Amino acid sequence: MQATKSRPALRWLIPAAATVLVIGGGAAVGTFAASADPSLPPRSAAQLLVDLQTARLDGLSGTVVQTSDLGLPSLPNLGGGSGSADVMSLITGDNTLRVWYSGPDKARVALMGTLGETDMIRNGSDVWLWESKANKATHSKLSGTEAGQQHTLPNGVPSTPQEAADQALAAIDPTTEVTTSGTARVAGRDAYELVLRPRDTASLVGQVRIAIDATEHVPLRFEVLAKDSDKAAFEVAFTQVDFDRPDDQQFEFNPPPGAKVEESTELSAEQKAQQAEKAHNDGDLTTVGEGWTMVAVSKAGGAPASPEEEDATGLLKALPEVSGAWGKGHLLTGTVFSVLVTDDGRILAGLVSPERLYEVAATKAGK
Amino acid sequence: MSAVDAPAFFVSELRLVSRRRRNQAGLAVLAAVPIIIAVAMKVAAPSSSSSSQGPEFFGSITSNGYFVALAALAVEIQLLLPIAVATIAGDSVAGEANQGTLRYLLTVPVDRTRLLAVKFAAIVVGAFVATMTVATAGLLAGWALFGAGPVTLLSGSQASVGGSLLRLLAMCAYLTVCLAALGAIGLFVSTLTEQPMGATIAITIIAVTSWVLGAVPQLDWLHPYLLTNSWTAFGELMRSPIAWEPLRDGLLSAAAYMLIFLSAAWARFTTADVSS
Repeated sequence: MQATKSRPALRWLIPAAATVLVIGGGAAVGTFAASADPSLPPRSAAQLLVDLQTARLDGLSGTVVQTSDLGLPSLPNLGGGSGSADVMSLITGDNTLRVWYSGPDKARVALMGTLGETDMIRNGSDVWLWESKANKATHSKLSGTEAGQQHTLPNGVPSTPQEAADQALAAIDPTTEVTTSGTARVAGRDAYELVLRPRDTASLVGQVRIAIDATEHVPLRFEVLAKDSDKAAFEVAFTQVDFDRPDDQQFEFNPPPGAKVEESTELSAEQKAQQAEKAHNDGDLTTVGEGWTMVAVSKAGGAPASPEEEDATGLLKALPEVSGAWGKGHLLTGTVFSVLVTDDGRILAGLVSPERLYEVAATKAGK
Repeated sequence: MSAVDAPAFFVSELRLVSRRRRNQAGLAVLAAVPIIIAVAMKVAAPSSSSSSQGPEFFGSITSNGYFVALAALAVEIQLLLPIAVATIAGDSVAGEANQGTLRYLLTVPVDRTRLLAVKFAAIVVGAFVATMTVATAGLLAGWALFGAGPVTLLSGSQASVGGSLLRLLAMCAYLTVCLAALGAIGLFVSTLTEQPMGATIAITIIAVTSWVLGAVPQLDWLHPYLLTNSWTAFGELMRSPIAWEPLRDGLLSAAAYMLIFLSAAWARFTTADVSS
């Protein structure tokens, strides 16, 4: 103190030091959490795959953060911003979800908005969808055949690293190179990293990385990286996870008084399958190619029927127009996928560059 | 160190802050907003009761008066509460310097560090009184017009009246810490000038700028560092179970701001020449 009394300017060293401490401290915590590679006994990719398939999960609770940087044009109509608890918002921006899991028939996923929440609660054969903003609860009952299935948020976007990893692993085939890139730390836990790489370089996907918990063998992080990029285009990761079985109370849902309660007339699994088949035949959905460079071709055609479809047409007009030997249309490009909508009503989509879509569009299979 | 004991000094500072006409008028404005919200919702209730649009928590007001308090907090934290803190903080040192009372204060052999601590404590108390005024006025107006009862949380479960009041108190405490971070910046600004109005406007601008930057999605890399970034996290207390992580982040961020700006205010105030 004596020095600061005789030379007052020295006192400014204290706020300066505080600033350095705060900024440096924050940065140090960030890099430490990100880069500290735990030393774990080596495990091969094949062993990790077996681990994943044999993992028995009793229960967990945690926070999942999902980030998408798909390089989509930021159209105002494309769902809400980062703050809304809208299910549509899952496809754009960042989202935080809280998950609780206690066996296959007890699960809860809560999508957090700034001051709102959308909950999907599965308890036995009861499924509730709760939307706080609308003050609405939707109930549906699962029939016997569906009772064993996992339930996801209604738009099919994976809400946990587990779901995302399941979808990716189902797609493993000879076109995929499976390796391991060592270890990582996710949500304060040690993990192994499994890397899936498309053998076909025409795909826009560079690699898919799955971090697997070293002791529980559960996916903790799932990342999709575009080719020539080290930043994830899509990521679902736990920021906090606890493998204790959550309290049963967490899966009980009683619609609060005053809320709108709807009984969902959701179709049973068989009806859904039939309908999907019908749509397949009607819409003429075909695929060209295999594995990572597969292109889906759909001939939707016809005039827009519902208001939503008209909205979609409006959105379409905002996309850049492209043309070639195959005709004319609009193109949507992201970092890991492209969609081409031609003026004659065809939709081509795939994890490939636009050039590949043009190629397919010009061939007989794409017509 | 000093001849004046700190508690007595603190009490006299609180008396000074509470006796200011503008502070009393400010509190009245803070309390008026929830009452206006409640009356407006009551009048418009039949037509708009089904709407889930509008600002946060507004949709739930008609079913439970409790939400008037939340809606008022959500609305006022954007501008009116920061202005209230800016008024007190801007006045704290610059006001005394402006009126020429600061040098008399310093002739009393009171340590400048202690003087600053008392000033900051008064700002924190002011922030707490301001948030509690909003919450209490909202609660009373809401209960009077829409009735009390168990509260539906964001997660769809219900909290008892007592539990919901505890949550409301915790929200006020959280917002007080957030506003105290703004108060720390304000105290520093106040030591830089002898114009209290200038300081108050500067502090308000800091808060508003932070909100505006936070609303620009292209600046999302900057958002975690913004003063106001976690202020709306008070809503996390309305979940079941409560999501503590965002609240903890908000408190850490507020602590970081306080550390930097209180030490800067100290460095400035203890070395400054006080001429008026």
